[in-house]
Amino acid sequence: MQVKLKIFRYNPEKDKKPHYETYKVEAEPTDRVLDLLEYVKGYIDGTLSFRRSCAHGVCGSDAMRINGVNYLACKVLVKDIKSSKITIEPMLGLSVIKDLIVDMEPFFDHFRSMMPYLVNDETPPGTERLQSPEERERFDDTTKCILCAACTTSCPSYWANDKYVGPAAIVNAHRFIFDSRDRAAAERLNILNDQFGVYRCHTIFNCTIACPREIQVTTAIGEIKKAIATGSLD
Amino acid sequence: MGLNRRVRFFAGLRYRGGGPMWAWMLHRVTGVALILFVGTHVFASFFMQQTGNDFATTINIIYESWIFQVIVAFIVIFHGLNGMRIAILDIWPRFQMFQREALWLQWFIFIPVYGLTVVILIQHGLTGGY
Ligand code: HEM
Ligand code: SF4
Ligand code: FES
Repeated sequence: MQVKLKIFRYNPEKDKKPHYETYKVEAEPTDRVLDLLEYVKGYIDGTLSFRRSCAHGVCGSDAMRINGVNYLACKVLVKDIKSSKITIEPMLGLSVIKDLIVDMEPFFDHFRSMMPYLVNDETPPGTERLQSPEERERFDDTTKCILCAACTTSCPSYWANDKYVGPAAIVNAHRFIFDSRDRAAAERLNILNDQFGVYRCHTIFNCTIACPREIQVTTAIGEIKKAIATGSLD
Repeated sequence: MGLNRRVRFFAGLRYRGGGPMWAWMLHRVTGVALILFVGTHVFASFFMQQTGNDFATTINIIYESWIFQVIVAFIVIFHGLNGMRIAILDIWPRFQMFQREALWLQWFIFIPVYGLTVVILIQHGLTGGY
């Protein structure tokens, strides 16, 4: 089948404003949107710029807006898009460096502000720090995050103000707050108990819908709101 | 270097968040509309009672007309129901696994409640109410 790709283009060295470029390409229904981008770059226009690495939905490089909604280009099949016209644009709310490439630094700064690592100064036992399957299960969902930024850049609160830490940072805080081996939950909850912490979340669900790992992002944020409100992690 | 991060109003509107995003936008619009309507109501009642002049009468006639009440009823009922959905999902995050269903349920309640209200308002309006 033939697919019409409409791609957002911006070259900082030449363009004052972004524009759209249309490419007609032959595609199999089982091709991924990433394959089409690779085709355009390889055979039609080598200047097209986008990030990708693994091509299998694990590295989180190629989140972008595909027909208006954030997803990984390597996880969307042509047949899953109900139309033969595909519009591809960079994620919203991060500055565009070139074409589909956005500046991820502000996103990673918020991630780092959550202390996304195990904090525990107690002398370790001779073995691993053990936990029960139930304790592990408690934060299983939020361990799956690949830091693609699809959630944060789908959030109207983040579009409005990038001081908001955003869903992805909160997901990664949740990963450690509810880990029985960690000791810094109170500190992280304190950081999030702020007008630019969890309270920017209006339970809109764009993040949950965008997450390519199917993480229940809004639920993770909700559990943290509740932990702050009740002062308890149960 | 690079394009400003600013997300313009229409770029945001074009994001295809679907039903839940529309519900949130309507909630904000109806929230602001409620402030305006409740404000108008208080304002009109105040002037009616203090002066009873033509200006106050005009506002009250518009405010109490059945056409206006049909709009106000939409805004109040939608904002109230949607607010309850958000509050419930915020208080018990585990119910969020049914968030899609919650939105359906909300419309399922909204349609008969609002429909009945509209029927009553129009009946009154056409049988010599306001
Ligand atoms: C049945 C009664 C009501 C309920 C259950 C209700 C519920 C809510 C909830 C839960 C929110 C927060 C939504 C969010 O986080 O995005 C909210 C926002 C708001 N409400 Fe209400 N509300 C009610 C009546 C009113 C009234 C009477 C007014 C106006 C006088 C009003 C004006 C607003 C405004 C301006 C907002 C902010 C909108 C936003 O942040 O998007 N509400 N309401
Ligand atoms: S929570 Fe999901 S959408 Fe957000 S950064 Fe992680 S993997 Fe991407
Ligand atoms: S290229 Fe790695 S997630 Fe898509």
